Amino acid sequence: MLEKMKHEWFSNVRGDLLAGLVVALALIPEAIAFSIIAGVDPKVGLYASFCIAVIIAIVGGRPGMISAATGAMALLMVTLVREHGLEYLLAATLLTGLIQIVAGYLKLGSLMRFVSRSVVTGFVNALAILIFMAQLPELTNVTWHVYAMTAAGLGIIYLFPYIPVIGKSVPSPLVCIVVLTAVALIIGLDIRTVGDMGELPDTLPIFLWPDVPLNIETLMIILPYSIGLAVVGLLESMMTATIVDDLTDTTSDKNKECKGQGIANIGAGLLGGMAGCAMIGQSIINVKSGGRGRLSCFVAGLFLLIMVVFLGDWIAQIPMAALVAVMIMVSIGTFSWTSVRDLKNHPLSTNIVMISTVAVVVATHNLAIGVGVGVLLATLFFANKIGRFMVVKTQDTDQNTRTYEVVGQVFFASSEQFIDSFDFKEAVDKVIIDLTQAHFWDITAVSSLDKVVIKFKREGAQVEIVGMGEATATIVDKFGVHNDPKEVEKLMGGH
Amino acid sequence: MNNIITCIDGSAISDDVCNAGVWVAKKLDKTLVLLHAIEKTNTPSANDLSGAIGLGARSALLNEMAELDGQRSKLALALGKELLEHAQNVASKNGCKDIEKTQRHSGIVEAICDLEQDARFIVIGRSGESHREDFKALGSHIEQVIRQVHTPVLIVNKDFSEPKSFILAYDGRETADKAVQRIIEGGLLHNMTCHLVSVKNSQSDLLEKFKRTEAMLIEQGFEVKATFMEGNIFDALSQYKLENEVDMLVMGAFSHSKLASVFLGSNTLKMIGHTHLPLVILR
Repeated sequence: MLEKMKHEWFSNVRGDLLAGLVVALALIPEAIAFSIIAGVDPKVGLYASFCIAVIIAIVGGRPGMISAATGAMALLMVTLVREHGLEYLLAATLLTGLIQIVAGYLKLGSLMRFVSRSVVTGFVNALAILIFMAQLPELTNVTWHVYAMTAAGLGIIYLFPYIPVIGKSVPSPLVCIVVLTAVALIIGLDIRTVGDMGELPDTLPIFLWPDVPLNIETLMIILPYSIGLAVVGLLESMMTATIVDDLTDTTSDKNKECKGQGIANIGAGLLGGMAGCAMIGQSIINVKSGGRGRLSCFVAGLFLLIMVVFLGDWIAQIPMAALVAVMIMVSIGTFSWTSVRDLKNHPLSTNIVMISTVAVVVATHNLAIGVGVGVLLATLFFANKIGRFMVVKTQDTDQNTRTYEVVGQVFFASSEQFIDSFDFKEAVDKVIIDLTQAHFWDITAVSSLDKVVIKFKREGAQVEIVGMGEATATIVDKFGVHNDPKEVEKLMGGH
Repeated sequence: MNNIITCIDGSAISDDVCNAGVWVAKKLDKTLVLLHAIEKTNTPSANDLSGAIGLGARSALLNEMAELDGQRSKLALALGKELLEHAQNVASKNGCKDIEKTQRHSGIVEAICDLEQDARFIVIGRSGESHREDFKALGSHIEQVIRQVHTPVLIVNKDFSEPKSFILAYDGRETADKAVQRIIEGGLLHNMTCHLVSVKNSQSDLLEKFKRTEAMLIEQGFEVKATFMEGNIFDALSQYKLENEVDMLVMGAFSHSKLASVFLGSNTLKMIGHTHLPLVILR
């Protein structure tokens, strides 16, 4: 156990420390920007990012993944903050954490297998679009100076890494922020700065219980928000965990991660921070900069706090244009551009799932609803496809007997087609329905067979059913059976 | 239960491990399985600290890292093949006929757990490749291996030669009784001199149990030298080993619960850490 802990924390100290610093620098603009989206002071987001990063480093299930205050979560809080204020947000954050811990114990992390690839892609793209859209208020109704600053910022971020030697050892987003702040101060530009957006932290975070009445009314106000936050937080965390799994070729404990996210959110809520979750963009930055262990996320949180508390005066001078440039980079880096290129190669159903996920999220600003729609569509398309794996073959045995041989999957999606395959108009004395090679998956299938039998009987035919037992063996609710290769062989035998 | 899993790596004592594996395999008449685990090194190349992510950052990064890992793995695979080849030569020179070789992409602990089903005995070196010449150091995986597997483990140090006698530390606990049972049932320790040693502890009936165990071992045809001592367990045992000629240590592992041993430390680990003799751990 100690061995494992040592491995997860200290197997890659140098890489983790460097990556942690880079990530902390990428976290600051986000934490501030997302606080502004949510309508709270920047310090709420900064405290949250610190707490979440440090706690998740200790209790999370995916070393090397970065969690902090995120845009996806911030978008869900907007109305809560507007209508009820910060204290209710903190209470909602605590409840979110509680729900996530319960989800972890119920092992809901494994439900991720129902989320298909195209839904994940849609989610990631929608997230990128939302992050980008959140920057638009900073870019509308402003002087040309802001556009010039933002463009220069993007130029620095993307071109700086090409400078030999220092290009790759100094984070370019940091260079962008420092240069733009210096320029704004020297020229004396009158543009919006971080200081204009609200209060920055001047002390270390302190423990405080949200100042809300503890009654049912409060619960009813925060519960819907908490559920939304919990779902979105877990979804984004699970997906990010999968991405980090892929990148580092290691495995992670998804249910532990659920619980960890919950504990981290409770910690954030108690220290005056908003709810957060894993961040795709920052996690990629972390892995790219060499971060692999728990230490990188921990250092990122710690470094973030040190910087904002002790350099608060300087941070207040950062022009918003510099942060906008960093956020645009994160949005571009998060977007899955290959998915656009692949649109013409992938089947239509997959594309519809991906695009509707994106469309619903962008329309509702709620990632949970978008993913719900995506999963639903994917399931329907799948049912439809499997439903086509059903044919009814007919053969004449003799003049007065007709044999129907059913092959394939009969369930709710294919039962209509199943009924239509029989010719009830034909006048025969005897009908044999051979089901030995069919699979009846649900009650709809059984009742449609009943329908067929009754129809034939009405026409005066004698009906004989062969192999009913084999066909209905698939109406099993004991899922354990499917894990046993021998049982599955038995069940699917004959195909 | 037909395999003697022998863990081979590039460390200095790999040949001794191989010899020990051959000894066990011959004595128990089982197949010698030479195992080499290709462990993934967790040292990424961190030469890009720019923190900028552009178009398709994720897939580009994935491709780049997959390629690097692929190259490393290829090298490791080739190296492992050579190590196994060498071990096989050593083993067949020593008269072992039934030899299998296997390579797995995982940590050694995981690899052992995967193969444990068919294993009768696991032979592993005291310290791995990363420790090189430092024989005092205890390999990082030893604790994990002996905690996780349910098969007897033989931990080998350098200069392994066929043992003629072994020492069994008996503390009267359930694990010790089980260990005695395993000694009698298994064939590995038959025809060897058994130094049965016990150190007085808080158990009042220890002496009685000790006598019973001694009688039982003699009855089973072991040549037994029994000694009952007082004092600190660890010191007494070390003293005994110095004074008597013992070739190998036998013990049952971990009578404390896992939690307790985190706080109290475990005699098993302490013993493993301080001995230069080969050590059999019976589960």
